[in-house]
Amino acid sequence: MNRSRILYHMVRADFLERVRRYSFLLTMGFAIYLGYAVYARQVTLRLDDYRGVDNSAWLGTVIGLIATVWVSLIGFYIVKNSIQRDRQTRVGQILAATPMNKSFYTLGKALSNFAVLAVMVLILALAAVFIQILRGEDTQIALGALLSPILLLGLPAVAVVAALAVLFESLPVLRGGVGNVFYFFFWTGLISISVTLVTGTQQPTGLHALQDFTGIAVVMGQMQTQLRQLDPQVSNAASFGFGNFHATTKTFLWTGIHWTPALLFGRALWLAVAGALALLAAVFFDRFDPARNGLRLGRKQKEAGNTDVLDARFSVVVPALPSVSHLTPLLRDASNRQTRTRFFSLIVAEFRLLFRGHGWWWYAAAAGLFLGCLLSPIDAARSGVLVAAWIWPVLFWSQMGTREESFSTGSLIFSAPRAVPRQLLAMYAAGALLAALTGGGLALRLLFAGNLSALAAWGAGVLFIPAMALALGVTTGSRKPFEALYTAWWYVGPLHHIRQLDFMGTTAESSTPVGYFAAAVLLVLAAYAWRSVRRAYA
Amino acid sequence: MQLAIESVTKRYRKGVVALREFSLDLKPGVLGLLGPNGAGKTTLMSILATITRATEGRVLWNDTDIARDPDVLRSVLGYLPQDFGVYPNLNAVEFLEYLAAVKGLDGVAARRRIDELLDLVNLTDVRKRPLGGYSGGMRQRVGIAQALLNDPELLIVDEPTAGLDPEERVRFRNLLSDLSGERIVILSTHIVSDVEATATDIALIAQGTLVVHATPEELLRSVEGKVWEWVVPSAELTAVKQKFLISSTTRRSDGVHVRVLGEEPPTNAQPVSPNLEDAYLFCLSRHRAGARAGAAA
Repeated sequence: MNRSRILYHMVRADFLERVRRYSFLLTMGFAIYLGYAVYARQVTLRLDDYRGVDNSAWLGTVIGLIATVWVSLIGFYIVKNSIQRDRQTRVGQILAATPMNKSFYTLGKALSNFAVLAVMVLILALAAVFIQILRGEDTQIALGALLSPILLLGLPAVAVVAALAVLFESLPVLRGGVGNVFYFFFWTGLISISVTLVTGTQQPTGLHALQDFTGIAVVMGQMQTQLRQLDPQVSNAASFGFGNFHATTKTFLWTGIHWTPALLFGRALWLAVAGALALLAAVFFDRFDPARNGLRLGRKQKEAGNTDVLDARFSVVVPALPSVSHLTPLLRDASNRQTRTRFFSLIVAEFRLLFRGHGWWWYAAAAGLFLGCLLSPIDAARSGVLVAAWIWPVLFWSQMGTREESFSTGSLIFSAPRAVPRQLLAMYAAGALLAALTGGGLALRLLFAGNLSALAAWGAGVLFIPAMALALGVTTGSRKPFEALYTAWWYVGPLHHIRQLDFMGTTAESSTPVGYFAAAVLLVLAAYAWRSVRRAYA
Repeated sequence: MQLAIESVTKRYRKGVVALREFSLDLKPGVLGLLGPNGAGKTTLMSILATITRATEGRVLWNDTDIARDPDVLRSVLGYLPQDFGVYPNLNAVEFLEYLAAVKGLDGVAARRRIDELLDLVNLTDVRKRPLGGYSGGMRQRVGIAQALLNDPELLIVDEPTAGLDPEERVRFRNLLSDLSGERIVILSTHIVSDVEATATDIALIAQGTLVVHATPEELLRSVEGKVWEWVVPSAELTAVKQKFLISSTTRRSDGVHVRVLGEEPPTNAQPVSPNLEDAYLFCLSRHRAGARAGAAA
């Protein structure tokens, strides 16, 4: 079998496995929603007070930018599980025993990721056609003008994301939650470079095309040039995104992106970057070697002895061990006091479970943040240190509601009496306790200062964060949605003190605790309802 | 103490029927649940362990329908699933303490019992080692320990000896025999010798239906005079395989010793004492022949 055929079959099998999963339907649903958002003008591209006439060139460009800006963010979290799936299904061990080349494997995974994201982009392209027909401002479908921005802007961007996902999965440090959080900031950096290019220059050069991952700088530059010919007074103000509430009052005719050789070279270069990233991933890929993937055992644990060797030793005479009759019988007591005590034990057990697998440095930083909250000026503690203190445990909260799925312990846990409500509430209490402890320094300050409204906002944060983690964890069974959504929300809301989105109440102006108290209750109820439905006997 | 399974049917999506009108009454003792792959054993176990619901029929624990009040059973249930996971960063003690809390056990009593159980499953020496570093057999023993945490009245173990070395397997069989006195133990396995060593009752299940429920002695009696052994040259083995239901073959210096099942003895064959494996194969082949005849009619 030649190499291209091997690669084809690797990509095909992986792609088919994905598209036959329920989650793929959700992915496609998201793509359709993005198309709808453009139609409903929830996503808008505006230059000063202008938007383009809804012709093929304009809609193709808007959809192309959606593919580069939004699909490049969400898409990463959608596809960053291809190697993980081979690990979980243990197919990886079979593959590792074949002559499979590591570069082929990572390239195949990147291509499969790309195929999934490309399907999303193609759905968006199809949506563009429908939007143009439904809007009816220009009924002439010009396929070249419509598809070229979608394909030439969108596909290189998602190719880079597809390869980045494989690279992250291959690097042990970025494989888990750290990578999920880190990618958000990495993506913000990529977008920032593009935006800086938009605002920093009127006429993008070939160099800009190479730097501009999203292509937004080139597009905006060409649009502004074209618009200025129509209205020389037009300002440089431009925006693209969700919730662009300031309605545009004027339209202009956008004739499409002028694809210069430099621009095409820039896009091709991003494709080459994608290929290079996929191959770079092969350097770090462990080929499912458990020795490279396993737990790092401490000195004490190594000294505990190699019992595998003991296991393998066969002895004809089975040594006598205590029999069942030596087990102390358990007294069954279901009094209220006992039940309360045992529930408290479960909260403690869940709390301890949250902390497993993290080094001393985590606790040192958390203690530092606690002291920072306690000792900083109260406003700085509220608007700054608390924000840091409540992003620090994100990887702890993201475990909530997902452990039973990811470690296959569900059958052990849910065959216990009243396990669904007891374990869910205990888990939630442990998550809230974690929030209360990490941000506890501020609570003490607010309490002593008698600032009850700020304390209420703090309390809303304590209850809301684990509720969100629990609801997302239980419903998706994966840590990624919380890690991605929480980080993005944290960045937009609390960090920038945006009212309605500031669930931590970092300033008096941005604080809306009542809504977040209510949201916390609803999210916990949603988690309980979901788990009850999923567990037939709950 | 009684477990009654009444006409239980389990239908999965796309119309796959895993169990069909399955009925069984159980009293204290060890029930060996035998059957080929895909027979419905694990589905039955999941229903009895209150992990999944029956589509039709009901399961009664001391006359209480477990679909209506599963906690009545769960508080006295020990369950070792075929596939289960552990938290790799916890050690055996921490993992068992966590599950004891989930099961609602008192902390002091649970700690004492965990010590005793770790001793019982021979993991005391590695109690402080993270489970992520355990071998498959050691994890299985942790699974056995967690199933016994709450001193269960109903113990359900699905393929419990998978991954255990011969020594641990013998130890586990002895443990099951010890346990059987005042509780119901359901042991699902492919390994007939495990059942032979421990079961007081045997249920044979195939294609989601109960083929036979009997004591080991009754099963053995049912194939009495139907097991034969004779020696054939290696060259004739293929022809013999096509003609008879073969229980086992052993190559020796004088040829292949063939053990066959049948009403009539092959030429030159000697009758031999049946074992449970013979009984299992015989019942299964009779069931399949009946099913084929039913389908043809």
